[in-house]
Amino acid sequence: MHILKSRPWNLPDSSATPEALVFGRRKALALGAGMLAASPALAQQAALPPAMRNTRYAPGRAITAEREVTTYNNFYEFGSHKTISAAAQRMPQRPWTVKVEGMVEAPREYDIDDLLRRMPIEERVYRLRCVEAWAMVVPWTGFPLSALLAEVKPLSSARYVVFQTATLPSVMPGLRQSWYPWPYTEGCTIAEADNELSFLVVGAYGKLLPPQNGGPLRFHQPWKYGFKAGKSLVSIRLTDQRPVSFWEKIQSQEYGFWANVNPAVPHPRWSQAQERILGIGESVPTLLFNGYGDFVADLYAGLQGERLWA
Amino acid sequence: MPACKAKGFGREDGMRLIGLALLALAVGLYLAFGGGGRGAVLFRLDPGLLNLVQALVQRYLLPMVWDNVLLPVLEAPAWVIPAVLGAVLFLISWNRARG
Repeated sequence: MHILKSRPWNLPDSSATPEALVFGRRKALALGAGMLAASPALAQQAALPPAMRNTRYAPGRAITAEREVTTYNNFYEFGSHKTISAAAQRMPQRPWTVKVEGMVEAPREYDIDDLLRRMPIEERVYRLRCVEAWAMVVPWTGFPLSALLAEVKPLSSARYVVFQTATLPSVMPGLRQSWYPWPYTEGCTIAEADNELSFLVVGAYGKLLPPQNGGPLRFHQPWKYGFKAGKSLVSIRLTDQRPVSFWEKIQSQEYGFWANVNPAVPHPRWSQAQERILGIGESVPTLLFNGYGDFVADLYAGLQGERLWA
Repeated sequence: MPACKAKGFGREDGMRLIGLALLALAVGLYLAFGGGGRGAVLFRLDPGLLNLVQALVQRYLLPMVWDNVLLPVLEAPAWVIPAVLGAVLFLISWNRARG
């Protein structure tokens, strides 16, 4: 007599997944990914690649509260006041591309997510010193600019790197001021760009960089005043011509090319000797090169004739 | 004496002169800056001025005062106001002189 014994893994035919669903799985996944890419809000929820904190750059101060950093912003394309964060949410973050071009062997245009996959992502806690005499400490996620430059291979004749911010008139009310020299342009020397501190930022506080802080891609050189950091970058161009930056064109006597932090050189309208730490309101003495002199002071040897300070 | 005063430089002449001066200013602004707005003209004269005014208004008054009140004024072509004022003054003085 043949006895049929039911095993837990014996499932009835009715439980089988329909063939169309099994073989359509790839399509369904692709559709989901497409929806994610099409919606800036959904893309914003996408996680940043895992990033280890690099402890070489200890800031020597407590990290500023995330809320302070994401609600007190300078982003001139959205206005001259600090409360631009709500307006900046209208700036789409995906799709986003950045061109690396000019005097390089291999110019190319990167999709931001491709860049996130290719670059050595890490977290660095940097001090940020604004020319307006306030300061904050931010855990940025990103990668060294030198890593990107290594991919495109600068020509030996390239001497400067020029950063250009997006111009999106439909979401940036500041662009209505047509008399200003848009797009926002900043720059540094190739030696400064190659310095280990020069950092392209894609995240903060372990999340994708919010638009009001310059998402999806901004630059940061912590020994310089904050206005030198181009936000929402769409172009990084290598050239042999020293660029005239946005603020230099408007008020060169207040915002120079080098703009290194120096407590001894006042802004024409206020002292730079002290800085107010955002969030706690405490004022502390400003440090030469914002405290990063050990990393960068040698960049300026022999440049004493230049106006190295903002 | 009254007759002599009537032939002198009167109010209408003054209005006509100011009107002509404003029209000349409008033409000059148009030739120099084309259809450029007042903001562009001010920026050419003093690049830092509007940045300072904008910061004062948006940071210490109200951002929308800049965006909705001052910016539309600055965006309008620089020659429009002197042209309109000049034309009005000239026409009034011409009309009074005829009457």
